[in-house]
Amino acid sequence: MPSRDRLRFRLNGQPVDVFCPDPRILLDLLREDLRLTGTKRGCDLGTCGCCTVLLDGRPALSCLTLARLVESREVTTIEGVTPPQGLSPVQRAFVEHGATQCGFCTPGFVVTATALLRANPHPSREEIERAIAGNLCRCTGYTKIIEAIAAVGGR
Amino acid sequence: MHLDPFELHRPRSVEEAVRLASELSGQCDYLAGGTDLLPNYKMHLNLRPHLIALEDIPELRGHSFERLGAMERLADLEGDPAFRAAYPGIQDAVGEVATPLVRASGTVGGNLLVETRCFFFNQSFFWRASLGFCLKADGDRCHVVPQKERCYATFSGDLAPSLLVLDADVEVAGPSGRRRLPLSGLYDAAGDGIRRTRLAPGELLVAVHLPPSARGQRAGYKKLRVRPSFDFPELGVAVAGRWDGTRVESLRIAVGGVETYPRRFDALTDPLAGAPLSEEALGRVASEVMRGVRPVHNTFLLPDYRRRVVEVYVRRAVREAREGSAA
Repeated sequence: MPSRDRLRFRLNGQPVDVFCPDPRILLDLLREDLRLTGTKRGCDLGTCGCCTVLLDGRPALSCLTLARLVESREVTTIEGVTPPQGLSPVQRAFVEHGATQCGFCTPGFVVTATALLRANPHPSREEIERAIAGNLCRCTGYTKIIEAIAAVGGR
Repeated sequence: MHLDPFELHRPRSVEEAVRLASELSGQCDYLAGGTDLLPNYKMHLNLRPHLIALEDIPELRGHSFERLGAMERLADLEGDPAFRAAYPGIQDAVGEVATPLVRASGTVGGNLLVETRCFFFNQSFFWRASLGFCLKADGDRCHVVPQKERCYATFSGDLAPSLLVLDADVEVAGPSGRRRLPLSGLYDAAGDGIRRTRLAPGELLVAVHLPPSARGQRAGYKKLRVRPSFDFPELGVAVAGRWDGTRVESLRIAVGGVETYPRRFDALTDPLAGAPLSEEALGRVASEVMRGVRPVHNTFLLPDYRRRVVEVYVRRAVREAREGSAA
């Protein structure tokens, strides 16, 4: 592989070394080249939040991130947020509160909520609403999602 | 959606970026946060064969009370309580830009230079091809105002009005060096709507500079949009002022989201200095601002409705700023 097209970064804690031409979008690299299909493609234009991943611990829209710009950085996807056995506290709360219906938006919500709770372990309802404002859900009406995140935060 | 081929460049300094842009003259775009440019590229809007990513240029980062780096993320401004307290108007506007996920990548410079928007422009290639394209991309006529030879796409940034009312300057770098100009001079109201700024080809926005007088003003920003958690402005009204008791010392109003350029209305607000602001005088100014703007039918809400809300938002924004506590 010519070094010009080589991309090295850390993905879910592991080093990755892949072929990546300049116009490759991070979402496409994750789903199509690395076969991590937990990250969903919704609008593909930054509106829906389905493709949210963590970039150096902060939420980022993978559909609007050029893959080459994650060179030497740390990317965490929904697969990386999920423990090897069982579910993370956020995922468990989503199940227990019925915060998932069709489930398509859920990976994005879980990643956004995980980042929120790391930065602010006990968010208020208003802080939760604000943090998830970029994630669209067409099924739940959001109430169950907010309740699930609030439960993890002990509110 | 996959992107068409382009070559990505990653300069390490402003000078290197500007030199690259000048070598690639007309064949490149600067890439800041990507939240505006990449959706447009996905829609095949005005593609260039070279992208110059500004990611690795330390000088473009950071913010202080005096300076906002062009590549500073909106989320980083939002997360600074001291900045929020000093500049309530800027904070109002930052918090209203798109969603937290977009603000995590979106930048100060990107928002100031955000592409203007229009029903007939922000569409897929297939959709636009069916209409024979438009003046702003690939075509030769405007579908909104067909009898005119200019573009009426709407300026859709939220930061510009809130910085205009604070007399902000911008610093730009170009092949022949650096210059500073008032933000109001960045937008070229005499342009054809496609050329919207007075930036020369290849010039790069480096930073926004805030004068000492910008601090501690009573200020606010009101935004009209359809979905309160996401949309671009259908109208944005920024206000900043100083009051001595009830007497107005200074008052500025700027409006964005209704025309191709954001602009200030100093001729209406300058005469208000030195006296208390009566409800009648405020009503008069609000209705003059409304009469002064010319929205066209190229966004979601009807132009007449947007104009009427101008009047309401100017009144509300001035009242709220007057009653708000100075920082």
